[in-house]
Amino acid sequence: MASHLGRLYALAFALVVFFLTWAVVAAHPWASPAPDRRLRALAVREAELRREARLVHEVVAQRWAAYASELKLRRARIAAVRSRAAQLAAQATVAPAPASAAPSVRVVTLPPLTITRSS
Amino acid sequence: MIERRAFRVMGTEIELVVRNGGADGAFHRAEHEFHRLEALLSRFRDDSELSRLNRDGALDAGPDLLAVVELALAARERTGGRFDPTVHDAVVNAGYDRTFEEVAPDSDGCLVASTPAAGAVRIAGGRIALGPGVRLDLGGIGKGYAAERAAVLLAAAGPCLVNAGGDVATRGGPWPVGVATADGSITLELLTGGLATSGRDRRHWRRNGQEQHHLIDPRTGEPSRSDLLRATVVASDAIEAEIAAKSLFLAGADRAVEEADTAGIPAVLVTGDGRTILAGGLAA
Repeated sequence: MASHLGRLYALAFALVVFFLTWAVVAAHPWASPAPDRRLRALAVREAELRREARLVHEVVAQRWAAYASELKLRRARIAAVRSRAAQLAAQATVAPAPASAAPSVRVVTLPPLTITRSS
Repeated sequence: MIERRAFRVMGTEIELVVRNGGADGAFHRAEHEFHRLEALLSRFRDDSELSRLNRDGALDAGPDLLAVVELALAARERTGGRFDPTVHDAVVNAGYDRTFEEVAPDSDGCLVASTPAAGAVRIAGGRIALGPGVRLDLGGIGKGYAAERAAVLLAAAGPCLVNAGGDVATRGGPWPVGVATADGSITLELLTGGLATSGRDRRHWRRNGQEQHHLIDPRTGEPSRSDLLRATVVASDAIEAEIAAKSLFLAGADRAVEEADTAGIPAVLVTGDGRTILAGGLAA
């Protein structure tokens, strides 16, 4: 009688152990929990923004380089024009005309480009 | 391609002509130069350097006024006094005491006694000092000077011509310039140099029934009684041409022809009785 009861307990215990094991194995305790979809979307968005920021930086850098180069050219042109104007002004102050140049003139039958009159 | 710009300054029409395109900047600089020089050399502007010199009798002059006065005094020396910048009071006494547009064509104002010129002008360093009662009129030579200065600035854009109411400066010819004769006009092809016309056919008016004009004979201090109506002269630049034109006009027809031929100054002389004389090597 006692051994019969003992076997019954042993069977019940074995069943409990079996189902517990089943439950543990079914729960996949070794697998990581599934990530949240919103977090995944955020991560994707962040990556996109970082990529766009990199592109914007590249475009700005290119445009700045072009602007700096154009600015340098313009400054050089302005300096050249100023220098030429100063040269001409100095030339004009010193010598309003090549005084030694002999006038060269003749009467022609062409239509005049301008007309002189009493000043 | 010919580009032109016209505007009014110094009491006359200014015409700028450039043979190349894209001369906007040069036109602007040349026009600005005319306005700048008018502000310095006009006797009709109270604040001009010339007016201050005439008012105060002495002035530490800027480079432009100094240059023009030196040129005028050298011309007085060279022309034996026919060209004289000290005719200011004589011009005013004749009635030309305001801009020509404002001078009445016929008025009854009293004429002051004639004022011979040859007044004393001293230059020491940058200072100009006038003798007692001496005042300067730089109208004609000032325009020639301005035309030459503008031509220098305009030449940066290409071959150019500046016509300052008859005073013509050129750089890089040839330029066909029309000159009025007694019965029409002829065209002079100017390869180098400048050209100017002096005459009594434009700036003239009447005072007490007497014909007056702005070309004063410095010896008498009165409007010249030359038998010429106008004289057009070609010279090395517009300033020299202006001086020579005035000098030949005052000389009268016979003397002007003789002087132009002797000195080889190309000139077109129109007499009051309607003759046109080409002198100084010019031939029709």
